[in-house]
Amino acid sequence: MARYGMALDYKNCINCRACETACKAENGILPGKDNYRIWIGQKEAEGEWPNISIVSQTYHPSQCQHCDNAPCQQVCPTNATYYDENRVVRVDPERCILCTYCINACPYDARYVDDRTVTVDKCNFCSDTRLANGETTTACQATCPTKVRTFGDLDDPNSEISQLLKTREYKQVKEHLGTKPKLFYLI
Amino acid sequence: MNELSIKELFRFEKTPLNLLIAILTVGLLGIFVAGATYYFIHGHHAFNVTRQHPWGLLIAMYVFFVVSSTGLCIISSIGHVFEVKEFQVIGKRAIAGAIITLLSGFAVIALEVGHPVRMLIYNVLTPGFTSAIWWMGTLYGIYLVFITFEFFFLTIKENHKWAKIFGIGGLLAGLAAHSNLGAVFGFLISRPTANGVFYPVYFILSAMITGCYLIYIIYGFKYKNSYPANIKAMLLKLNKILGMLLGILIFFEAWKIITALYGTMPERAETILHVIKSPTFIFGEVILGMLIPFIVILFSNAKAIKPMVYVSLAGMVGIFFMRYDLVHDTLIYPMDTLKRSEYQLPPTFIEYFPSATEFAIGFGGIGITLLLFYIAEKVFNLDVDTKH
Ligand code: SF4
Ligand code: SF4
Repeated sequence: MARYGMALDYKNCINCRACETACKAENGILPGKDNYRIWIGQKEAEGEWPNISIVSQTYHPSQCQHCDNAPCQQVCPTNATYYDENRVVRVDPERCILCTYCINACPYDARYVDDRTVTVDKCNFCSDTRLANGETTTACQATCPTKVRTFGDLDDPNSEISQLLKTREYKQVKEHLGTKPKLFYLI
Repeated sequence: MNELSIKELFRFEKTPLNLLIAILTVGLLGIFVAGATYYFIHGHHAFNVTRQHPWGLLIAMYVFFVVSSTGLCIISSIGHVFEVKEFQVIGKRAIAGAIITLLSGFAVIALEVGHPVRMLIYNVLTPGFTSAIWWMGTLYGIYLVFITFEFFFLTIKENHKWAKIFGIGGLLAGLAAHSNLGAVFGFLISRPTANGVFYPVYFILSAMITGCYLIYIIYGFKYKNSYPANIKAMLLKLNKILGMLLGILIFFEAWKIITALYGTMPERAETILHVIKSPTFIFGEVILGMLIPFIVILFSNAKAIKPMVYVSLAGMVGIFFMRYDLVHDTLIYPMDTLKRSEYQLPPTFIEYFPSATEFAIGFGGIGITLLLFYIAEKVFNLDVDTKH
């Protein structure tokens, strides 16, 4: 029993996209432009030479926020979307009817249709491929060369992520919607 | 019920209009079957829906059909639930129409939802009580049972007491189901243009307007514009009701737009600004769906019957665009979640145009409505009995 979340030291991101590749390999994501669980959001530098704003250029790694109050879970007519014992938001392909209501309801564009199961899929913090085998890291975290990602149990005060969130300021995305996202962008 | 042989089923007066409708029906059924077949072979890839625009024409057509069903049910209840005399003539035909349009809607949505059979199973086994889709689906199921019994007691085993009881049940279930369908959009906190009280209320209002348009079309076709006195009295009253409803709708829409634009909150204001400049809104929703019918009623002092039949056809085209835009407008604003210029492209409004398969299934569904209506007119006596 844990409550997993991820802290992202996003200013360290160098846009190498090793995480995207690792995720695809780990979870066997099929090719196709809509098929991705994680992505790097880019913001180009603003301004004209010589007044270019260096700070405006950022890379934002992102994925499902594993909201503690997840709109996707609330709207699911068959409870196919559920919180597992680690508060990871999961989709049960046995119960998903592919109404795609959750894709509409997610404020973070985190979901897509998986062509193998013909149901909705998204990041599950590598629950099937790694956590189930007793591992404590996700593929994206393990592969990141600049250590952007820290994955861990938010309920354990001694975990690395809990310590980080006590000592670093962070921001969250679309918090005002009340979704209680569990990705934390370290400032 | 009427005695019916196969030969009788295919016999109809060969007027040019009837022949045209017959060809249209067969054609639409043909493309429905073709669309369904293509979908069964290629799955969801036959549709142009994407990750960012997951709902499309088929959802719009489903809404179109169930709006028609609810509208017919509400308008017919003016007669046999609220006992307004003039409206008692439309009871049977309107309820038959409500059942038929609902079934057509179910046929379309069964091809949209990826796993319809699984849906029936897990809606019962693991119901999602916080889901507006669950409530909408369940309530529409209950509604279908009620209006089917209502039709049974109106037509097959005439019993006015039971017809009224099931009529009230059907009306309440229909109102609940349909406002829940509005809530499917209204509950989306991720979509500021849809989120809020507007859609659940608007759905009921536009359903009533759709019901009026359909009554004009159905009776206009049936009587070829020469109406008996009782039908004429009903259609005249309907003119007033429709005029008032359109007035309210225009008022609602205007305030929805003004409040959305006011304060220029980007996700809401930019989306609505984009929407009100689109031709489907201006020509479809506003001109065809609202202004032309409203102006005709206004300038005829609510005495237009013949023109209303034609205007109602335009009105239904407008209603279609209202459904289409409802889905599309909800989804066009990109989810700007740290993807400000993903892969170097600045985010723009999301584009969507239905695929041929979506057109075939969605519009083909109208063929199902026409066919079932034809059969219902043959099998049942849908006119009010003169002895009443
Ligand atoms: S980010 Fe989207 S998919 Fe993930 S839990 Fe939140 S609402 Fe659901
Ligand atoms: S698509 Fe599947 S997971 Fe999403 S809301 Fe529908 S049934 Fe639930």
